[in-house]
Amino acid sequence: MATIAETKDFAIRQATIALVGNPNTGKSTLFGALAGIRQRVGNYPGVTVEKKLGQMNHAGRKFQLIDLPGTYSLAPRSLDEMVAVDVLLGRRGDVSPVDAVICIVDASNLERNLYLVSQVLAMGLPTVIALNMMDVARTRGLAIDVDRLSRQLGVTVVPIEAHRRRGLDDLKQAVLAALDQPVAGRPSPFPEQFESEVDALAALSSTTAAAPRYLTERLLLDTTGYLAHELTHGDQRAAGQIAAARQRLADAGLPVPAVEAMARYGWVAQTLAGVVSRPSQRPVTLSDRIDRVLTHRVWGTLFFALVMLAMFQSVFVWAGPAMDWIDGLMGAAGEMIGAWLPEGPLRSLLIDGVIGGFGSVLVFLPQIFILFFFISVLEDCGYMARAAFLMDKLMSRVGLSGKSFIPLLSSFACAVPGVMATRVIENRRDRLTTILVAPLMSCSARLPVYTVLIAAFIPDRAWLAGVLSLQGLTLTAMYLLGIVVAVGMAILLKRSLLKGPTPPFVMELPSYKLPSPGTVLHRMADRGWAFVRRAGTLIVAVSIVVWALLYFPRSEAVTQPLADRLAATKAEMNLPDLTTEQLTHLRAEAAALDREFSGIQQRQSYLGRMGRFIEPVVRPLGWDWRIGCAVIASFPAREVVVATLGVIYNLGSELDVAADADRTQLAAALQQAKWDDSERPVYNVPVALSIMVFFALCAQCAATLAVIRRETNSWFWPTFTFVYMTSLAYLAALVTYQVGIRLAS
Amino acid sequence: MTHNLLPLSLLANGQIAVIRQVMGTPEHVHRLHEMGLRGGAEIEMMQSGSPCIIRLDGHKLCFRDDEATRVLVEMGAVA
Repeated sequence: MATIAETKDFAIRQATIALVGNPNTGKSTLFGALAGIRQRVGNYPGVTVEKKLGQMNHAGRKFQLIDLPGTYSLAPRSLDEMVAVDVLLGRRGDVSPVDAVICIVDASNLERNLYLVSQVLAMGLPTVIALNMMDVARTRGLAIDVDRLSRQLGVTVVPIEAHRRRGLDDLKQAVLAALDQPVAGRPSPFPEQFESEVDALAALSSTTAAAPRYLTERLLLDTTGYLAHELTHGDQRAAGQIAAARQRLADAGLPVPAVEAMARYGWVAQTLAGVVSRPSQRPVTLSDRIDRVLTHRVWGTLFFALVMLAMFQSVFVWAGPAMDWIDGLMGAAGEMIGAWLPEGPLRSLLIDGVIGGFGSVLVFLPQIFILFFFISVLEDCGYMARAAFLMDKLMSRVGLSGKSFIPLLSSFACAVPGVMATRVIENRRDRLTTILVAPLMSCSARLPVYTVLIAAFIPDRAWLAGVLSLQGLTLTAMYLLGIVVAVGMAILLKRSLLKGPTPPFVMELPSYKLPSPGTVLHRMADRGWAFVRRAGTLIVAVSIVVWALLYFPRSEAVTQPLADRLAATKAEMNLPDLTTEQLTHLRAEAAALDREFSGIQQRQSYLGRMGRFIEPVVRPLGWDWRIGCAVIASFPAREVVVATLGVIYNLGSELDVAADADRTQLAAALQQAKWDDSERPVYNVPVALSIMVFFALCAQCAATLAVIRRETNSWFWPTFTFVYMTSLAYLAALVTYQVGIRLAS
Repeated sequence: MTHNLLPLSLLANGQIAVIRQVMGTPEHVHRLHEMGLRGGAEIEMMQSGSPCIIRLDGHKLCFRDDEATRVLVEMGAVA
């Protein structure tokens, strides 16, 4: 234990200030204003809570700022909610103990905000109240007597306007003053009888005696059993004592946990006596007028549909060119390296493995940026909560809430930002369910697979004057398959693995405001960077592994004749006096030999051998070993399957399925493919459908799995996702092929 | 003192009432209390239905009034 003298000596140690407050009170804005760009975002181990640290300078001193997640109450009922309480009580080893608290409060809603203040004060730390949104309070006609509030609270209250950076110096000054003053004894808002029960609990054992009083109070109040498990480790005697204490309190008309709301709101009412004066007539605000339209069942839903349409159009329209540009950049980088490195494993590793891997990481960035631009704007201006309100009816049928809608919808563009967008869902079980079914939404990476196979094998039939085409219906069916399976999976998960009581669905609808460019840009950069740093490393690693499997072993005996012919052709190209025609012809020949070389190499590589090895497993799906190969190779990213098939059929990997010529070329190659041991064609409609169904449901995307790993902070969930999706994909492909074959014959 | 209590979900748009009782498991009720849905608070129905939008303490809350949690109110403003 450090002595008081030591802990107060900030000349040696940097003081740590924690920032707490309700959601939607402008806490992040204040954190940004106080810490500037000196921010670090990390994760607390074992939980999904973000650790936001910053540095604040004032009067020549440096302070460490900790931004705690926005909450209405410090009543931990789970590991995630425990983080904030543990930080404030100095019970976490990975954060230095807190020396003072800034509690940010919404001036236009003091009643509910002071509930949290009451809990913060119980922690016994030096505290300063930052009274934010004074401007909003004024427009609503509220007058707040700040001095009186400060007197009745017993702590300094500083009026601020965080988004205009007003009052920040006063706030810093108040924190500095609070640090150097002893904390005055604060009377408990609880009735005496409750306090004496807490005393008795504290004396119960050495563990409870060592726990801070705030936690002992919570132990008595927490009826979920979470804290009992944390503090008493399921000790039967303690459980009996707590139950008896609760019974005595209930008999005295102080039932737990309701006694907390009674006591704290009683204290709030006393504290606010004579502080706030309201107008007799509440003015109708602009927010109200906007809401009349935007939360209207018909007009609101229509507007929401338009917003979503605009969002996805932008993702598809704007991300395309950016992705092509990144592809081009990677190609150029590859060529540069190719120019000054000799042929060999190192060159291939750098070009195909490392740069290819980086390319597949960076190629997601445009989608992440564009999607999060929209999401941040919608969140920052307050519309997101309205969208959740409108979609709640639909989502509650699946056992989720309206908050899951946007992440799932985003996943149709790409599951990576979709999974990242689940952070708005506070309820852990809802969030996990949403994360686990998000990859089932047909993302844009599945489109090339569908396009090639549909063009090659689904007859081009149309009815109703071309409105209904068989090819279009097949594509729609693939999308519907993902949705139907996701709905089933969500229901199943909520009833089995993620079973639990449905928490009441209550959500605040913040007032509309203009989005701040700074917040939006920061969010976009933050999400993009997080993806590159965390998911990127894994994707590059997987790409290198797949490259190695394709590159080794090199068998000179098999490829030598080809290599000789290639060298001869290239030598011929360097002859003088070649006509343009001859040169073109030679170039084409060299390219064809090059492709044949890659094809042969791939067939005898480790991956080719793996493909042959798993052939018995994929035969029931109607696949030969080549398809098996392509499926294994496309584990890092689904869309790779097209390039891999291209290599297998000697067309090279530079196929562009968006270009008609390339698509028909690949389609033709697929239609001509034969089983190794017979003249039977490999591909037919049931086989094509079984491949499509497999890709519709499988988890062939290292990026998504890496992001799930990052967002859930565990290896279990990405593993679970991979296993369940792959098994489902296999089963569905099996059923599709077997049924299809029987129907066809 | 008798109250004419009715479920919150029966309020029509624009009607004002006072919360008298929040029913449900103690845990759920406690969560609603923390969000400001407490006895004696005045509310105004903004969009009825499930979920509904109510005004409370000058702020809007979206709330699903279902079997798990029932909010009983008394018509009229806080005296």
